[in-house]
Amino acid sequence: MSTSSLRDPFDPDVSLNHMGHAESVSHSDANHEPQTAEAITDRVVESAIVRSVFGHDLRRREFLRLVGSSTALAVLSSVFPLAAAKAVAQEKTGPIEKKDLKVGFIPITCATPIIMAEPMGFYKKHGLNVQVYKASGWAMIRDLAINRETDATHMLTPMPLAFTMGAGSQEVPFIMPAVENINGQAITLHKKHKGVKSAQEMKGFKFAVPFDYSIHNFLLRYYLAEGGVDPDKEVQIRVLPPPEMVANLKADNLDGILAPDPFNQRAVYEDAAFIYMLSKEIWPGHPCCAFAARKDFSEKYPNTFKALFKAIVEATQYAHQASNRKEIAKAISPRNYLNQPVEVVEQVLTGVFPDGLGNTRNVPDRIDFDPFPWHSMAIWILTQMKRWGYIKGDVNYQKIAEEVYLAAECREVMKSLGYKAPSQNSTKHNFLLGKTKVFDPAKPEDYIKSFAIRRA
Amino acid sequence: MAFLKVDFVTKYFAGSNGTGDLCVFRDVHFNIEKGEFVTMVGHSGCGKTTLLNIIAGLETPSKGGIILDGKEVTDPGLDRMVVFQNFSLMPWMTAYENIGIAVRAAYPKWDRQRIDEYVQQYIDMVGLTGSEHKRPAALSGGMRQRVGLARAFAVQPKVLLLDEPFAQIDALTRGVIQEELVRMWMATKNTVFMVTHDVDEAILLSDKIALMTDSPEARLAEIIEVTVPRPRSRETLIDHPEYTRIRKYIIHFLVERSRKIQEQGQR
Amino acid sequence: MNGINQVAKSKERQKVIISSLLFLVVFILFWQLNTKPSVGGKTEGLPGPLAVAERAWEMLSNPFYDGGPNDKGIGVQLLYSLGRLAVGYSAASIVAIFLGVVLGLYPTLYRAANTYVQILKPISPLAWMPLFLYTIKHSGWAAVMVIFMSSLWPTLANTAFGVSSIRRDFLNVSSLLQLSWFRRLFKVILPAAAPAIVAGLRISIGSAWIAIVAAEMLIGGTGIGYFVWNEWNNLQLNSVIFAILTIGVVGVLLDLGFVRLAKAVSYTE
Repeated sequence: MSTSSLRDPFDPDVSLNHMGHAESVSHSDANHEPQTAEAITDRVVESAIVRSVFGHDLRRREFLRLVGSSTALAVLSSVFPLAAAKAVAQEKTGPIEKKDLKVGFIPITCATPIIMAEPMGFYKKHGLNVQVYKASGWAMIRDLAINRETDATHMLTPMPLAFTMGAGSQEVPFIMPAVENINGQAITLHKKHKGVKSAQEMKGFKFAVPFDYSIHNFLLRYYLAEGGVDPDKEVQIRVLPPPEMVANLKADNLDGILAPDPFNQRAVYEDAAFIYMLSKEIWPGHPCCAFAARKDFSEKYPNTFKALFKAIVEATQYAHQASNRKEIAKAISPRNYLNQPVEVVEQVLTGVFPDGLGNTRNVPDRIDFDPFPWHSMAIWILTQMKRWGYIKGDVNYQKIAEEVYLAAECREVMKSLGYKAPSQNSTKHNFLLGKTKVFDPAKPEDYIKSFAIRRA
Repeated sequence: MAFLKVDFVTKYFAGSNGTGDLCVFRDVHFNIEKGEFVTMVGHSGCGKTTLLNIIAGLETPSKGGIILDGKEVTDPGLDRMVVFQNFSLMPWMTAYENIGIAVRAAYPKWDRQRIDEYVQQYIDMVGLTGSEHKRPAALSGGMRQRVGLARAFAVQPKVLLLDEPFAQIDALTRGVIQEELVRMWMATKNTVFMVTHDVDEAILLSDKIALMTDSPEARLAEIIEVTVPRPRSRETLIDHPEYTRIRKYIIHFLVERSRKIQEQGQR
Repeated sequence: MNGINQVAKSKERQKVIISSLLFLVVFILFWQLNTKPSVGGKTEGLPGPLAVAERAWEMLSNPFYDGGPNDKGIGVQLLYSLGRLAVGYSAASIVAIFLGVVLGLYPTLYRAANTYVQILKPISPLAWMPLFLYTIKHSGWAAVMVIFMSSLWPTLANTAFGVSSIRRDFLNVSSLLQLSWFRRLFKVILPAAAPAIVAGLRISIGSAWIAIVAAEMLIGGTGIGYFVWNEWNNLQLNSVIFAILTIGVVGVLLDLGFVRLAKAVSYTE
């Protein structure tokens, strides 16, 4: 097995090109070739990371000659959780540093993999004793995560990005190794609006979303803007914890919500509202919630982090299978977890549900579970945050996406567990809605400027 | 060397409405020998209670000072214990505890048993045996002052200061307690300074009576000796000719002097 | 004479008890008549007294169960809340009494501090929550601090007032007896001001109990406030009503405790 691609990436005299031009192999090169399987894996990871940071080989060598390899290593380590990444890529997990963990969650179906991993034994399988701790709102989730009261947390996909940049909280670096669910939301309107058919008819409405830094907020704004309605000027968007949304709909305080399930379905169950549009009909396969942790947790406890990561990915894949959904619904409905009627949770997970307008619909991927954190998803979220003025100034989209969304690591874990993973980190995404719009992650600024309604 | 010296004490009070300081009394100067019972008599407002408070250390003189046993005294202390007009007993403590706290303060090195015996002794002395575990609210005015007296005597002060002690006790009980006080004093031979406007009481109890003129600018007019021999009792006192003479003298003083000053003021 | 008084008194008491029970019966009837029956597990509007009673029975028959960190029996939840209450309240009371004594004895300080006390007093303790969460960085301790803030002011104000109103006589006697500051504080000042202090403590525990329930709704975890929120998530109003009743009962018991204490420290002058 050729180990030519495993040359020391921190040696400026070495070229990391796989093809063609053979470079002179210096004596030092021979001494630094890794011999053991572990060392080889380590080197793979380092190469991958160095390559992705520097791209062009020449730039890398200039940089290394300038600062020296130990400095370069230090700089990269501060940006990438090298230790965690290496641990993740190892087949066998080292000894677990911290067995008893607390994982925070909000009682919505997006957190299904996190929640189900406890009663269905996924955490235990990987040697962890995890307590899943219910939080009352996203602000609480944020505080629990930042204060280290939880070791890892269920978050909305924009949150780790925002907190790493210091928006909406103190600046604390987070990593998001896995997406929890894709799809799984809906625009639900008060039953008195049964005749509404388009965004234009929603002018003057009062909406609720779970949090400012949420995919719900961005999807709602996207939908309204596509319909020619300015979400900051022509409607009211309020933040409410999802459990309170149903009560507020019943009390006629809201016209609509873009909410996570099971609350859309619960609102239908309580005969207060109807499902207007599923979120997958706006952006099929959109990310919603994520599994995130403080970056220093993954650095301090790399083996624990890896075991946790594996447990989550496995649970996510299990939840992906349609045949398992009923079993899962039963496991996560009790008071300790979602605390919702089993029928409602089943309707959400199986995708067979009454929509409140008298129809029973069958949409099997109403909610789906896929852990892969595409960098392009991160970039889309960042463009929307810039579009609506949540972040200002120049944004290095690619850099931040890579720092926070650990696509490479997720791929490693998925493969190690025997699942297929995409080979690229970024892709183009298709948005539905009349004219099919394509999002190209390579051109974020153009994308923002292509919108008629925006704040930046 | 006099035991207690009131040394040219003057007291001003800050005038209200900015009318300037009010002088209550000026240059009060007298001595009390050890074991003497001296009473000060004067109209209300002449500053006798203020003077007593100054001796006790509860108020400060504007000029002059108090010298006790050769040393100047400025702060309150156990060497000059007071018996108050309104008894000043702690209402949340029993009679026993009220005396007990004073004894503890005066004799910090005594153990529990010794304190208990001592307190009981004084309870018995003032005739309150059986009522010692009652709170002041459950005692009559006379009984309360008995506790006050027991408390003051129990600390064995150098000077005992009595501030119109029986003014709030009914007339019939008053007489009884006055005689009890004399008996206690004769047994302990404390130095006593009392303030009162009851002339009969002054004559019954004291060796000397100090006469104060009216305020403002009150002065010590004179000190007269009570020539009625001891032991005295209320019954025998009223028949004694010296009693009648002294009584007349004092009342003339109180009426005449006050009239004179009023006239002076009108001119 | 006494005999007639006794009879009259007990007759009066009987009347009070009967009227009280009558109020309760009328209220429950009114409540029951105004609720619609539940259909297939889902209730329309408020649940009736029977539904609440059923739920109450369920919860009370197994009050200490543990179904996981987010699902524990009502007994456990109450104990957690009372625990937080005890810590925050005790700490606040000690600080408040100490500060109150100082302010009461030094009128200049009292007047100087009074403006700030008046400004801080009406601030809802829950408004302090975000600040505490941000600085203390621990949700449990932040909740305890909320209780601290709500128990502080009534006790402080009442203690300062009580101490400043102590009769001059008592302080004079303690000066004459040359009492050490320790004895002066514990034998004279505190007993004299005790009725005012206990009145303040009684008000404080009321507002602290109210605050802890609200704080727990925000932070989650274990506690009666969290229990209410969790049941509300699932729109289980019968549990919510039952929980509210337990909160009320506990509040009354706490208050009664302080009534007893007030009697114990009272005195007549």
